[in-house]
Formats: sequence, C-alpha cells, structure tokens
Amino acid sequence: MESAVIIRYCEIHLKGKNRSFFEKLLQTNIENSLSGIKHTFKPMHSRYLIENFSEEDYPKIRERLHKIAGVHTFSRALVVPNDLERIIDAALEICKGKSGSFKVETNRADKTFSPNSVETSALVGGKILEKFEKNLKVSVKNADFTVNIDIREDGKTFVYSETEHGLSGMPVGSSGRGLLLISGGIDSPVAGFMMSKRGMKIDCIHFHSFPYTGEAAKEKVITLTKIIGEYNGGINLYVVPFTEIQEEIHKKCPEEYMITLMRRFMMRIAERLAISLGDQAIITGESLGQVASQTIESITSSNSVVKMPVLRPVIAFDKLDIIAIANKINTYETSILPYEDCCTVFLPKFPLIKPNLEKVVKNESNLDIDGLIEKAMSNIEKYSF
Amino acid sequence: MIYFDNAATTKPSVNAVKKAEQFINEEYFNPSALYRGGIFCAKEIAAARESVLNNLGLSSANYEVIFTSCGTESDNLAVLCSGKRGIYVTDNGEHSAVYKSFTELTNRKIDTHFIGLNKDGSVKTDELFEFVKNNNVGFVSIVHVNNETGAINDVSFIADELKKINPSIIFHSDGVQAYGKIPFAFSDNIDMYSVSAHKINALKGCGALIKKRKTHILPLIFGGGQENGVRSGTENVFGIKIFQYAGEEHYSSLREDFEKVNNINSYVRENLDKNLFDILSGSNASPFILSVSAKGLRGEVIMHMLEDGGIIVGNGSACSSRNRHSRVLTACGYGDNVLDGVIRISFSTSSTLEEAKEFTVRINETARKLKGIMG
Repeated sequence: MESAVIIRYCEIHLKGKNRSFFEKLLQTNIENSLSGIKHTFKPMHSRYLIENFSEEDYPKIRERLHKIAGVHTFSRALVVPNDLERIIDAALEICKGKSGSFKVETNRADKTFSPNSVETSALVGGKILEKFEKNLKVSVKNADFTVNIDIREDGKTFVYSETEHGLSGMPVGSSGRGLLLISGGIDSPVAGFMMSKRGMKIDCIHFHSFPYTGEAAKEKVITLTKIIGEYNGGINLYVVPFTEIQEEIHKKCPEEYMITLMRRFMMRIAERLAISLGDQAIITGESLGQVASQTIESITSSNSVVKMPVLRPVIAFDKLDIIAIANKINTYETSILPYEDCCTVFLPKFPLIKPNLEKVVKNESNLDIDGLIEKAMSNIEKYSF
Repeated sequence: MIYFDNAATTKPSVNAVKKAEQFINEEYFNPSALYRGGIFCAKEIAAARESVLNNLGLSSANYEVIFTSCGTESDNLAVLCSGKRGIYVTDNGEHSAVYKSFTELTNRKIDTHFIGLNKDGSVKTDELFEFVKNNNVGFVSIVHVNNETGAINDVSFIADELKKINPSIIFHSDGVQAYGKIPFAFSDNIDMYSVSAHKINALKGCGALIKKRKTHILPLIFGGGQENGVRSGTENVFGIKIFQYAGEEHYSSLREDFEKVNNINSYVRENLDKNLFDILSGSNASPFILSVSAKGLRGEVIMHMLEDGGIIVGNGSACSSRNRHSRVLTACGYGDNVLDGVIRISFSTSSTLEEAKEFTVRINETARKLKGIMG
C-alpha cells in the first residue's frame, strides 16, 4: 500500500490577496528541507502532499517537517484508489495494533463516490469492529483516535489516524531579515528560534575574545548556530574579534562600566553589519532584569547607539520558560557547557545596574570608538551552515 | 610547536607504529580464529602480555595482563568487578575513572571512604593506615602518580603496609601516569594495576589491567570470552602491538629518560617567574608533570595565549575540563585565586631542554602581559 504525508498550514489561511506568496514560500521551504530525500511533492487544496518516498526515509522526513516554521500539522496517510474495498483494507491496516475507542470520519470531495460520507464511516467502522472486536470499541464523542478517510476528486483516497503538530508560525523568509546577537548562553539561541518561527530569516553575529575565550567557546556558538539554522533553512554566522575593544575599555574606563560599554560596542557593530547584509532588525536574547546588563536602564543605554529596530522576543520570559524552549529545540545542553564566554573574564565585581546615559557617554569618550569598530569589522570571519 | 600537554596524551611513536603496521596490512586476522593467521595474532598478543609484565619485573606465573580499551576501563574493571566485601577505600586525588567508579559503588549501596590529600596532591598515608586499622576494609585503590600535580604515591610501600594490617584487602593502583615513566619496584602486594597505551607514545583505544592470577574479578563486558573471559570483545591487535613496542622503547631507557625529563622539569621550575607563578607540584613529584598556578589570572586564558604562539599546555585535567575548577586541586586545599590560574605543564621523553628554555621565556612574558591587561 502506498503512503503519503499530508501537510497543513494555519495562519496563512488568514492572509488575503497575498496568500499565494506565503503558500509558495512555505512550499519552497519544505522542498529545500527535504533535499537529498527521494520523494515527490505537490500542493493540494490548501495542503501539501509528499509521496513516492521510501519507508526508511520517513523518520528523516518527519524530523525535518518538525523544524519548518509555517507547518501547522502533518499526517502520514495510506493512499488507495477511490474504492470502498480498498479503503476498508487501508482502515484495517491503520487500526492494527491499536486499542481503545475510535471513530471514523469521512470527507468526500469526490461527490460521485457512493456511498455517501456518513454511510462510508459507518461501513468502515463496522468492518474495523468486526476484525478488532477484542481491542477496539466505537465512541463518537470521546474517541481515543479517529480514522480519517479523505476521498479526493483525482481518484485517490487518503486514510490516516495520527496527526502531529508542527511548529506553526510563518514560513521563514516571509517576515524580513534580522541579525541575532548570539553569545553561547541559553537565551540568545531561543530568541533566534522564536524569530525564525515568526518567519524571519536570520544571520548571527558573535563576539569572540581570543585568548579570553577559547576555541571551545567558539565551537559552542557554532553548534548553537547550526541548531538555529535547522529552523531557518540554513544560516550564516559572523564572528567578530572583540579582544582589543575589551582591553581598551578595561584600560581606559572605570571597571563598573565594562559591561555597559561592551554592550554598546556590540550593538553598534551589529547595526553596521546588519545594514551591510540587508538585515532589517537586530535580535537579542535579553530578558528584562535577568542580569545587570538587562535592566531597563542598561537596555536604554545599549539601545541608544542604534537606530534599527531591536527585537527582544524573550524580554518578558522567566528563565525557566526560556530553558523549557531551549530543551525543546535541543540547545540547552550545549548552552550550559562552562567555557569562558564573552563576559566572564572582564566581569566587574559590581557592574552598573542602572547606568546613567550621560555618564556612560562621558566615560566612553576616552575611546576611539570608530577606529576600534572599523578594525574589528575588517577582521570578521564568516561561517555558513 | 612545543607540546607540553603529554599527561593528556602523547605523540605515537613512529617506530612502534611502523613495526605494528603488518597487523593492519597483512596479519589482520581475528585472534580467536583457528587458522594460521588467527593463531599468529593470538601468539603476538601473548607476547605483548609477556612484554608488559617483563617491563614491570613481573612473572606470568603470578600475574596476568587483561587488555582493555583504555585506562578508564581498566580502573572500572578493577574497582567495580572484584566483588569484595567490606568498605571500599580510595583518595580524593584519583582520576575520574576511579573516583566516579567509587561514586557508582556508593549508588550500589556499597560503603566507600575517601582519604584526604596533602597540599602536593599525595595521599595522607597515616590517615589511610589508621582508617584501615579501625575498619573492615575490603578494597583499596590509590593512584600511583596524581595526574594533576604529579605527586607520586609509593604504592608498593602502601600495599605492603596495608597487607600487614589486613592481608585480605585487595589493593589496586591506577598507574596510568606512571607506567613507562617512573622506575619503581613493583610489590607483590599490589593485586591490580591499571595502565594506558596513549600516555606512552602508543595509540588511544588501548589499555590494560595487570592482575594477580589469584585475584578474582568478574567481567564488565560479556561476550565471546576473550581475555580469560574477563574482557570479551575481539582484541585490538594493532593497538596492543603498538602498546607493546612503545612500552619496550620506554623501558629500554627508563632511568635515563627519567633523569632527562627531571632536568627539563627542574629548569622550568627554576626559571618560572616566582612573582607570577606558584608551583603546586611537590619537589619529589613525577618529573613528567609540573602543575603551576598564575595566581589571580586565568589559566585557560594563558593556555590560549600560548596556543596562539604555538605552545600547547593543559589547564587542569583535560578529561574534566567541563568543570571549571579541578576537583583534585580543590581537595588539596587551594582557594579560588590559585585554582583559577592552574596550568598543567607535562613533558614526554622526547621533550628537550631547548624547548623548556623557550617555553619559560614565553610563559613568563605571557603571564606578565596578561597581568598588565587584567591588573
């Protein structure tokens, strides 16, 4: 018996005249994601259909579908001709090994098919009961599972019972482009995932402070970026050498301003890189009040050096909520590896919690801001995944 | 490149690898097979066992060699599989291979006890003997050379004393950092001794547990009954032969190499800037390991700065670099200030005095520079 995967979307249904743009984008994203797996793909009445794949590839297909923003649900179905006997065979196959209560629901797009939907459900349900009477019973109101029969106009019927939830959200590429500041911690990868889910195409920027941070810290960021890339249809990482900037701040500015000033440099560099890449927003993993650099005063200080919108998808999330998402997307275990990250070596004993913008600007005036930024930007390393 | 992280691993001996090549190119047979090639491989493994025993001055009448996949496996086998009753005793300076095996014993509701360390990482032997006198101890495991500080525990003396107190004790020692490096007289009161190939210029993926024939242990890995049924799995003939050849190279010049490395170690000790570095290794530690601390600075940062200039050192134990501070050095009683700055410099028999000279200049410069930056 042939099998197929039926893929459904959700929010795209709300779109008006530009709906086909979103549909095509999602279609392209799914097709790109399935590259390397032999299959055929076709759109089908607000759904997509994957067919002609080999059984052993299904786990791979399933895993990839779970990472495509815009996929609301998908079901693996058996495909048979519009023939009652064959439909019954497929329904029996689907019920093999199951127990509990079930119901049958029939959707008949092919109105020439006889019997009608209600009768088909009853007939198929009867056959299922007959064969599996020891394990199954009918319950229309509280069924443990539903056997769906979808009789299409093109002569094919899909029979399936299990529907899995995808990421939902919007297809990547439908909501512009953003540059994610990725640190190697728990929050920024989650922020990147969340924006991917809302359809934003993402680039990543990381500030690397060799020798204060080692290769292991960079590898950790690379691993995290790759994971985000799986939700983003591939991704680029830009690694900016940050050592000299840190050393200059350390030498010329009061200790407690270290983090505040570092954040301002990071934002400035991010904006310049974003403009050069055609990114329209900066994304950070800041969560209000989580650390000294994430109070509203600190955010004001770092935000004031850029004009571009700064998106902070986890700003109102508690740490535990962020960790829950990090666990779900598999970044948590990597994020908690204890390699020195950007901040730990130069961490002041008492960082400013509520920096005063005027004083920040005054303290920063000891530095050759543009010179340092230009030097850092001319040595950016690019990684593509 | 100056490679001074030889306690983590060593460069495989070109000669040993070349000599063993026939075991991948021609004699690739399964040593359990009954045709000529298989029998040949089995004989060659038997020769490798003899060689390991011979290096330590042991006789195959009393001792046997069980080849394993690594030192860690040997330690696990020794600690977890003797089935001995009574309290299991070890010390706080053990490599994780023994330490975590003891944690596992605790999980299995077996009584365990850990002996404290002196400041140099050596075991407090008085505390050990006192504990054994007053308790029903069944098993003792004491590391021969501490892999972080290089402290040498006189395991032959310890074994002799323990057996005087309680002859039924099983005594094991982790000899991974000692085998092929430290000359010593192997006491016949040592029941089991773990060794590893890649620490003496052979390959990763090969180790051995040297065991008294009359010490009974149960398998950790079950299967085809290789290694007298104690360690099933087709033997790593290529790895075992390289282990044998590299071991023979080491033991052919053990004392000369020991003296040579001792000179290199002394040079570095004497020429490190004492305003920047504290020496953590004791004066009678293994010359192969020199643990120092750049007080108030970060060891990992110095490691990276040196790496940038082609010098490789370790920061603490590479096997546990997921943890910020070394468990062993914490047990020695050092505070955060010292622990943050720990660097492990470890030599091999092919290290040279010239390398040591350049190294000392560079590490002093590096620490001075970092101190200037970090204040």
